[in-house]
Amino acid sequence: MNKQQFLAAIRQRIGSLPQQDIDRSIDFYAEMIDDRIEEGLSEEEAVAAMGTPEEIAAQILSENPRTQRPAAAPKSARGLKAWEIVLLIIGSPLWVPLLLAAAIIVLSLYIVLWSVIIVLYAADLCFVAGAISGIFGATVLFCTGQAAQALLFLGAGITCIGLTVLWFVLSTAAAKGVWLLTKLPFTHRKGDAQ
Amino acid sequence: MDIQLKRGLLDVCVLAAIQDTDSYGYQIIKDMKPYVSISESTLYPILRRLEAAELLTVHAVEHNGRLRKYYHITEAGRARIAAFAEEWKEIMSIYQFVVRGEQKHE
Repeated sequence: MNKQQFLAAIRQRIGSLPQQDIDRSIDFYAEMIDDRIEEGLSEEEAVAAMGTPEEIAAQILSENPRTQRPAAAPKSARGLKAWEIVLLIIGSPLWVPLLLAAAIIVLSLYIVLWSVIIVLYAADLCFVAGAISGIFGATVLFCTGQAAQALLFLGAGITCIGLTVLWFVLSTAAAKGVWLLTKLPFTHRKGDAQ
Repeated sequence: MDIQLKRGLLDVCVLAAIQDTDSYGYQIIKDMKPYVSISESTLYPILRRLEAAELLTVHAVEHNGRLRKYYHITEAGRARIAAFAEEWKEIMSIYQFVVRGEQKHE
């Protein structure tokens, strides 16, 4: 192994350390090898005198307290450990009802929102009924000769037709809003996954 | 030898190797060799530790077209050597006491 290969092998194994620490370690061993070569050893002999890159890297890592932190991070990504699963099971009487309650609260919020929409459309139906009965009433009254009352009913009926159209537009806008609100948590989750 | 004891001894030995004149890594190893054999991978953390404790300072000197790091002892480093010498006077008297006890039994 030549000096470059040897230093590269160490560098690769201590890659989790801060750059400054890596450079200092590599500089130190490079200087040691150069000093031995200067004294008459061949490059191969000088490298061999250092020991193996594995041993040296292990030594550097064991002396550096900061090594522990980067090493711990990938572990947590490997999924649940045995004790975490045990904790989950032991804790289930606590977290299952809590989770259920949270789900029910969210569900009831949705129900309340959609009830408002149902009420809006029901009100629109009332206007439709008002319009029909107004026109019908006006016709009947007109036939029985009560012109003044017939005019009043006709006016009320036409007003109800107008209100029906306006109210329908408003209700549909509100329904769209609630629909978007219902979809919101799911679209968010999709966005996170990407 | 007890690992803590050896560690403390090596720290002082490295300081002693630079107490007369500034020295560099390989020279320190060669100077210590007649007394205690030390490898590069042992010396490196000791130098880092002593530097962090401000018992020595490091400066780079150009040598044959490359940089070589020289280690210079600080006043705190010299105080450490003096403290070590004091401590060992005490330890030697304990040693005498311990060895005398052994001789009586023989």
